[in-house]
Amino acid sequence: MSDTLVVVGTFLISYGLIVGYAVYLHLRRRRIET
Amino acid sequence: MTRVRLLMSAAAIAVALGLWFALTAPPDRLQGEYSRLINIHVPSLWLAFLAFAVTAFGSVLWLVRKSHRWDRLAAASAEVGVLFTGIGLFTGMVWGQAVWGTPWDWQDPRLMSTAVMFFVYLGYLALRNAIDDPLVRARRSAILGVVAVVQVPLVYFSVNMFRTLHQTQSFRPDGSTMPREMVVAMLINLAAFTVLYVALMAARLEMARLEDAASPQVGLAGDAVRPPRLSEVEDV
Repeated sequence: MSDTLVVVGTFLISYGLIVGYAVYLHLRRRRIET
Repeated sequence: MTRVRLLMSAAAIAVALGLWFALTAPPDRLQGEYSRLINIHVPSLWLAFLAFAVTAFGSVLWLVRKSHRWDRLAAASAEVGVLFTGIGLFTGMVWGQAVWGTPWDWQDPRLMSTAVMFFVYLGYLALRNAIDDPLVRARRSAILGVVAVVQVPLVYFSVNMFRTLHQTQSFRPDGSTMPREMVVAMLINLAAFTVLYVALMAARLEMARLEDAASPQVGLAGDAVRPPRLSEVEDV
């Protein structure tokens, strides 16, 4: 069970970083446009 | 729908499909659930290699053509590459802790060369931030972008050239050391991450283009410096 949690957590953190970067690009773009 | 949104939607669908394959593929008999990490570890580092190769490509074209778009391409790709190298290192450390009993080995050529590559490209981004003049920034970062790409084949072949704790490639031209279901899941994730790279690059390039259009354009380096007019100099 704990192995599954570690693996799922690793996936979540990794995808979270990617989504975070995409959101950062979106917000920075909006700030430039306004 | 804009081009960036369309690409982001395609990337989200591709990554979701890849995640489904990653979580439903049969686990390895020895490594158990940890073997699923291959579906994010390998695609992340593949993407990092691709990104740094594109940075070198953009750098060479900037040096040849001196067009600002190639500098933007190189910078955008390096930023995406650093993100994915970081993810590759992180997932590798989690995996290493589980199967090697240690997250890091300071004497392992694959781990150390990847870490050096990560910090060199972080340095590339720092260099870009440290120079205000666009032309000087583009020239210096283009030179670094061309030199730094040497690390990509070094990192990739380090497991073949040296004795390492890290395993050699599981997926080779002469066949795979993994079961078919795991190979299929990994290949789907490789494709999904490639789509993700294209989408992130489109968003990053669009942002850079808008940023350049919004900021005052500076021409050639030294434009602001004018030669002294000798007629205005008074004799003392």
